[in-house]
Amino acid sequence: MTKPKVASDWLAGCAGCHMSLLDIDERIVTLVQVADLRATPITDLKEPDETGVAVGILEGAVNNSANEEVAHRMRSRCSILVALGDCAVFGGVPAMRNFFPLEEALRRAYVETESTDETGKIPDSPELATMTRARSLQEVVPVDIFVPGCPPSADTIFYVLSELAQGRKPVLKDEKLSWI
Amino acid sequence: MLSLTINNQPIEVTEGTTVLNAARQAGIEIPTLCDHPHLTPFGGCRLCMVEIDGFRTLQSACTIPVTNNMVVRTDTDKVKTARKFVLTLIFSERNHFCPYCQVSGGDCDLQNAAYGESMTNWPMPPNWQPYPVDASHPNFILEHNRCILCRRCIRACSELVGANTLGVEERGVKTFVIADLNVPLGQSSCVSCGTCIQVCPTGALIDRKSAYLGHEKNLDVQKTICVGCSLGCGIQVFSRNGQVIRIEGDWDAPINSGILCKTGRFAPLTDDRQRLTTPLVRKDGALQPANWEEALAAAAAKLQPADQVAALVSTRQSAETLHLFKHLFADGLKSSMVTSLEEGSATSLLSQFAASKGKAFEGTLKDVEHADSFMVFVADLVNQHEVAGFFARRLMQNGAPLVVIDTGENPLNNLANCALTPRTGKELDLLTGLTAAISRLGQNKAVFTGDAIAVMNAAAEMSGVSTELLLEAGFKFASTTRPVIIYDATPVQTQDVLNALVKLAEISGAKLVSLKGGANSLAAAQYELDKPFRLNSHQAAYVVLGDENPSEHLIKALEKAPFLVVQASHTSKLTAAADVVLPVTSWLEQDGHYLSADGQLQKAEKSLPACGTAVRTNEEALKSLAQQLNLTAVGNWKAELLQRLSPVEIAA
Amino acid sequence: MATQKITIEPVTRIEGHAKVTIHMKEDGTVDHAYLHVNEFRGFEKFCEGRMVFEMPNITPRICGICPVSHHLAAAKAGDEVYGAPPPRPARLLRELMHMGQVIQSHGMHFFELAGPDLLLGFDADPAIRNVVGLIQANPDLALKAVNLRKYGQEIIHILGGRRIHPVFAVPGGVNKALMPEERDLILSGYHKALDTVKVGIQIMKGWAEANQEDINKFAVFPSGYLGMVKPGNTLELYDGDIRLIDSDGKQMELFDGRTYLDYIAEHVEDWSYLKFPYYKKMGFPQGVYRVGPLGRLNASDRMATPMADAELKTFKAINSGKPVENTLYYHYARLIEALYAVENVAVLLDDPDVLSTDLLNTRHDYKGEGVGVIEAPRGTLWHHYFANENGQLERVNLIVATGNNNWAMSKAVDSVAKTYINGQVIREGLLNRVEAAVRAYDPCLSCSTHAVGQMPIVIEMVDSQGSLTRTISRGAD
Repeated sequence: MTKPKVASDWLAGCAGCHMSLLDIDERIVTLVQVADLRATPITDLKEPDETGVAVGILEGAVNNSANEEVAHRMRSRCSILVALGDCAVFGGVPAMRNFFPLEEALRRAYVETESTDETGKIPDSPELATMTRARSLQEVVPVDIFVPGCPPSADTIFYVLSELAQGRKPVLKDEKLSWI
Repeated sequence: MLSLTINNQPIEVTEGTTVLNAARQAGIEIPTLCDHPHLTPFGGCRLCMVEIDGFRTLQSACTIPVTNNMVVRTDTDKVKTARKFVLTLIFSERNHFCPYCQVSGGDCDLQNAAYGESMTNWPMPPNWQPYPVDASHPNFILEHNRCILCRRCIRACSELVGANTLGVEERGVKTFVIADLNVPLGQSSCVSCGTCIQVCPTGALIDRKSAYLGHEKNLDVQKTICVGCSLGCGIQVFSRNGQVIRIEGDWDAPINSGILCKTGRFAPLTDDRQRLTTPLVRKDGALQPANWEEALAAAAAKLQPADQVAALVSTRQSAETLHLFKHLFADGLKSSMVTSLEEGSATSLLSQFAASKGKAFEGTLKDVEHADSFMVFVADLVNQHEVAGFFARRLMQNGAPLVVIDTGENPLNNLANCALTPRTGKELDLLTGLTAAISRLGQNKAVFTGDAIAVMNAAAEMSGVSTELLLEAGFKFASTTRPVIIYDATPVQTQDVLNALVKLAEISGAKLVSLKGGANSLAAAQYELDKPFRLNSHQAAYVVLGDENPSEHLIKALEKAPFLVVQASHTSKLTAAADVVLPVTSWLEQDGHYLSADGQLQKAEKSLPACGTAVRTNEEALKSLAQQLNLTAVGNWKAELLQRLSPVEIAA
Repeated sequence: MATQKITIEPVTRIEGHAKVTIHMKEDGTVDHAYLHVNEFRGFEKFCEGRMVFEMPNITPRICGICPVSHHLAAAKAGDEVYGAPPPRPARLLRELMHMGQVIQSHGMHFFELAGPDLLLGFDADPAIRNVVGLIQANPDLALKAVNLRKYGQEIIHILGGRRIHPVFAVPGGVNKALMPEERDLILSGYHKALDTVKVGIQIMKGWAEANQEDINKFAVFPSGYLGMVKPGNTLELYDGDIRLIDSDGKQMELFDGRTYLDYIAEHVEDWSYLKFPYYKKMGFPQGVYRVGPLGRLNASDRMATPMADAELKTFKAINSGKPVENTLYYHYARLIEALYAVENVAVLLDDPDVLSTDLLNTRHDYKGEGVGVIEAPRGTLWHHYFANENGQLERVNLIVATGNNNWAMSKAVDSVAKTYINGQVIREGLLNRVEAAVRAYDPCLSCSTHAVGQMPIVIEMVDSQGSLTRTISRGAD
């Protein structure tokens, strides 16, 4: 039997959801027996397989043009898309930036901060992604499974991945459901 | 009785019961947010929607009364879909950042409701419109981003406290909770009682001091009573690691039914005095740390009958401690100067009056809670005994008139229907005049002998309060069925004034309720620890200060004591002047009984561990001293509470 | 002939989002390589208006790998704002939690992120050059690594109720006492954790011996070094003064971290969302310095625990007592710190105050402004808060661990690209070395860009006019 392929990536978040994935500790051995971990931030493949993966997981809010690209690519290459963590589910702490005009936030960080010297300016190289409003994943692409939490617990993540790997839809409730 | 079924379960309820309460009686859970058992139903959040046969649309269970043969369903798909929709709307309306909110993770009704519906996301994203955070208040914060406009705070501020500081402005999506006419909370008429934070279902009203110190599930909870004044309000003490995290009013408490004042809720949290954790003995002119044996030996050496020991005790101590104290010093050491730190200022007049009448003459706080008019006679209900003031204020908004009599500016004057300000020393005349005015109006419930008009005119002349005002106040106060006079015996001073008050109560048919100083002032009075303190030829003084702050008056009075022993929880000017200092527990670290202002005997429970291993309870400290002096305490504290006539019936 | 630009995107096995562009000269050699940090979140702005006491729970969302650093730096800044120094037992417990974090973060970095390069080889098949490949190649070691990380995470969990984004420190102290059974539980894992770190050190030393050539030509360059020390220049991670040395090891400054604005400034380049801190008196780029394990070990003379101190002597011998300049020795330095952290756990747990319940200073002497400094696993971290009289933030400034290494990472990328790449043949393994240069600094770009987040590596070939001619991105064929 071939193991279902799983790919993941992070957008505007803190990597905490992926760290919580690592918090499954020794169960990672079980996980790699039932799932084929492809492109993830902790492995070296850079993109989900063009031939498609069964499960795509995204952590973080959609915060700029690069995030958008990653979200669209993942959506187009995966059968089931999982929004992992509060940032992907509703925007999370990065969405607090939406309370301020983007320009003001950039100016504070790169010009006004007390330690910034007179070279302060808002970086604008074309190499850099264009910032947007911070959005939840479902504002950008359709999402199949929502796993809230900041981060979701290791037990919840292990449960979700195990269920998906075995072709079942995970049901989050009671102790598996947390928004913090 | 009415019959109905909820989810096919037959239930019988009394007429007027709401569907929500019927479900609760039957053990069927309906989620709610704006509902609160101690507040009138509002029907604002729409979370409690249920399906009722014969109704075209879903109905809010919290507001709809049961009718006979009603058929209710709480578990249909239609109901569940509606609940999720309601929650989605609430979440998308403002900015609920669960990840870092301090109530998130167990203490948020909104989050718990969403968990109850197994919601993993909100299909409608917020529009990220920022709302202000009002941090102007020293004790709590109003975080509008997390407000769901349930109006629990507003109803509590009005219905429970009578403060009416909180309200809303605007309509619809612009609706906004405001203080007064939209001023910062810290500059508003807020009485800082914190009842609003106790009822807030989200993190919109949060307490600064307890922020992030633990959710309810991590905290130890102990029900006990507040010893901040003589009312005896029931409280719940939340603690962790032996430190008090927050204090809430106990909804089940007979005296206060959940509400508290700023002193009860916040003062213990802001107490940053230095604790005493080891006995101290003066050696070579300086206080040195010692163990209990050394300290007790040093104290006992100077505390002998021949030394004529003067002894003082705080009225914040339990009846057990007061009783032991009295026997130890008055009987054991034959001391003639054994009294309380209050010196009976709030009670001795009342005790003497009760003795002269041969019976109790006062009513209870229940009378205040159910009164339909109030007279406040030289009592400060804004800064002391505040909860009694809340009882009055919340009834006043329902039309109960308030008459205030004070020789100076009383803080309640601005709320009073009539504020009478007699000349200093002419309170007696004013009371006499008012009694006559009531009789002149024919509102007297007892026979008035004499010429009412002449008495009234003479009183107006003497007191400086016009006859018109006397008549107006008399009418407002006495034309009701359950008038209550709240007074403070401390400034009353004379038996004559008290006599006049009792006469006024008789004529107007009013109940008299007095404030009695400290938490156990009435118990101290019952033990006759109520005489004025004088230091004469006494060779030593012993002060059971406990966790009280020593007054400048006390420090001065004890300046000349040749030898001073202080039993205290905190360092102070008084302990600095002492020859022996014994470290003792604070009120939350010990237990014992208290006699409230209206005669209820209640037990204060130990809520925190002692602050250090060398700290003893006040009672233990006195027992240790008795042992050191080879004295045995005799008598029964409870029986002796009843030996003296009390101004109010004691329910012990 | 057109010049080329190579883009590596995303840079993997680092925490965050970045990309590297390598600009080629016409002769096929590298002109310059850039590290672009490509995310901006804006914490410095959106924390305005929040309460100071919320910051220990907002700012950890900057980084889920070292959330404890932000949690504690925010609490330390809060201590200052409220004028409420924590009681000693609270200080000990904060440090204990910090040690838990250093263990899990350093452990994870060495074994799970950098380890695949060292254990499986820079040139191994990228499909297996990861922790999964490590599990298959050496399951025993992989399990040890997992358990080392677990040990650190469990210390955090015991104190703060959860492994990631714990709720523990508050201005003036902490919210929970350590129970005797919890202390014993942590102590029971001590020897196993110590053994795993020692295994890591042996692996590192063996690898270094076998790969001297790589080590000596892989991003070796002089810089200043900065780290926190206690008196006697003893390495410190929770609370101490900041010491800055020059490339020869001479002390340039020893200062109270709260006065950082007198010593440190940040330069901005328009091609990165990550700023470039430097030593103010020397200016940019002369005043650049390195932080994190290599920076700290170079900036200190001793370690407070015996085993780590002995290992430090071996480390110092590498360059005869002069600062160690080799980027790849970051891994060695990291393991020596992990050794210290494990040893220090036992030291802290032996302290008689560690079980005390005197955990919160409620006496406030409100100042309204405060700086919190801590040594995060990746380097020195500053939180600077300015609050109004109600305790509400008016301004926030953050200088984050990885940010301090921004210049060094860029320099390392440039250096490695120039050493290993020429335009004729570009092997994946060479590009992986470029990534490894970044990876050695264990950059936490989510952190540094509190501000920012995505670190992809794409290699784009750009001609001299700057237009893209060819993109090589790994993963795709």
